[in-house]
Amino acid sequence: MTFLAYLQIAIPKLAEGLLITFRVSLICLGIGVLIGFPAALARVYGPKWLRIIVTGYIEILRGTPVLVQLFLVYYGLPQFGLTLTAFSSAYIALGFNSSAYQAEYFRGAIQAISGGQMMAARSIGMSRIQAIRYVIIPQAFRFAIPAWSNEVVAMIKITSIVYLIAVPEMLYVAKELMAKYFNPFQTYITVGVIYLLVIAIMSIILNRLEKRLTIPGLDLAKRSSA
Amino acid sequence: MDNHNLKTIVKLEDIHKAYGDVEVLKGITMEVTEGEVVVLVGPSGTGKSTLLRCINQLTIPDRGRVWLEEIELTDHKTDIDAARRHIGMVFQDFNLFNHLTALGNVTLGLTRVLGMHKEEAHQKAMQELERVGLEDKWMNYPGQLSGGQKQRVAIARSLAMDPVVMLFDEPTSALDPELIGEVLLVMKDLALGGMTMVCVTHEIGFAREVASRIVFMEHGVIAESGTPEKMLKNPDLPRTKQFLGKISDLH
Repeated sequence: MTFLAYLQIAIPKLAEGLLITFRVSLICLGIGVLIGFPAALARVYGPKWLRIIVTGYIEILRGTPVLVQLFLVYYGLPQFGLTLTAFSSAYIALGFNSSAYQAEYFRGAIQAISGGQMMAARSIGMSRIQAIRYVIIPQAFRFAIPAWSNEVVAMIKITSIVYLIAVPEMLYVAKELMAKYFNPFQTYITVGVIYLLVIAIMSIILNRLEKRLTIPGLDLAKRSSA
Repeated sequence: MDNHNLKTIVKLEDIHKAYGDVEVLKGITMEVTEGEVVVLVGPSGTGKSTLLRCINQLTIPDRGRVWLEEIELTDHKTDIDAARRHIGMVFQDFNLFNHLTALGNVTLGLTRVLGMHKEEAHQKAMQELERVGLEDKWMNYPGQLSGGQKQRVAIARSLAMDPVVMLFDEPTSALDPELIGEVLLVMKDLALGGMTMVCVTHEIGFAREVASRIVFMEHGVIAESGTPEKMLKNPDLPRTKQFLGKISDLH
């Protein structure tokens, strides 16, 4: 079979897998934001006991391999009577893992905003919560985009490990194709190129987003009033 | 000047504040009456800015009490957020909200704190920007404004809340010399318009022209205070004379 003929068979199958890759990535990134952003706020503005808990959460998840976390959820939890589907396990393990990294990105973004703005917000009578909501968060999200883009790219690649618990994402499909056609080189090259294209497109989109949301004049201000 | 009929706007009683082992404020007592312009001067590190922040409780004093008119701000039962909106504050570094236009900076407090409708808030904000001479810069972001313009937007932001007193924390210290004038002009206008003001500044020209009182602070206490006339020409303490002489020479 020629490579071209093989691609005609492989691409549609890999595309199905890619959709699953997208689905897992998107859901895990979503879980990551939902936990990571509040975690970052808690780590910067929370009371001491909360900061300690959140820091512990972040360090544990960042300090252990994500594969260990995935296996712990998928193979470990059933021991306690909690059996999750492969998909759910993937969402939970990768989503929580991502939340730890995202928390750190968001924390960096929050801390890049001068404390003076918080003071100014309080001085006009805003509560702490209002100041965070209307002054800190809108800027933190913008500042976080570059680091957050890295997380999107990392997530798309990292989802490939869930093939180990038989989630039929792209790499899992690739393994099936390979078993059938015995052509690992062609298969993995194809898979690699697809990942590369997807990630290139994502990077362009996120780059545009970053530019669109840039606060006018802010870079200039940073340089001139250091 | 006859101050008997004027009400007290800010009252500080025996304010103490320490950061670690360093006692920054060692018992400050003072009153500011309606329409008064008090200029706080003193060497750096004497707690002038800390004292200013104790007035609106951005810094909580360790000891002592603070009143805004009849409300005791140091009372735990006081809703401090609600009280703070009546105390305007202008910072050395402007502290504008970088993601909002000049107009957005002024409207934010109006809509979110006072609950004003958007249209009404815009109108009010434009009036305040006009007051500081920046009505044509309303759509500019802080990053697109000069230091002097930023500070004037910051003043407009505070004024929009209709404060009963304005606190200025070295408002011209971060500005290029040629931009100081425009900010002082706005401050003078305010002072002449009857605004009650407490200013930490070393702009002696400003103090001479509009201050009701110059307060000289050193080592966490008020060393001496009096009218600009007395303080600049004939103070009681040699140290006051020396210090004010030095900063007058500079300006």
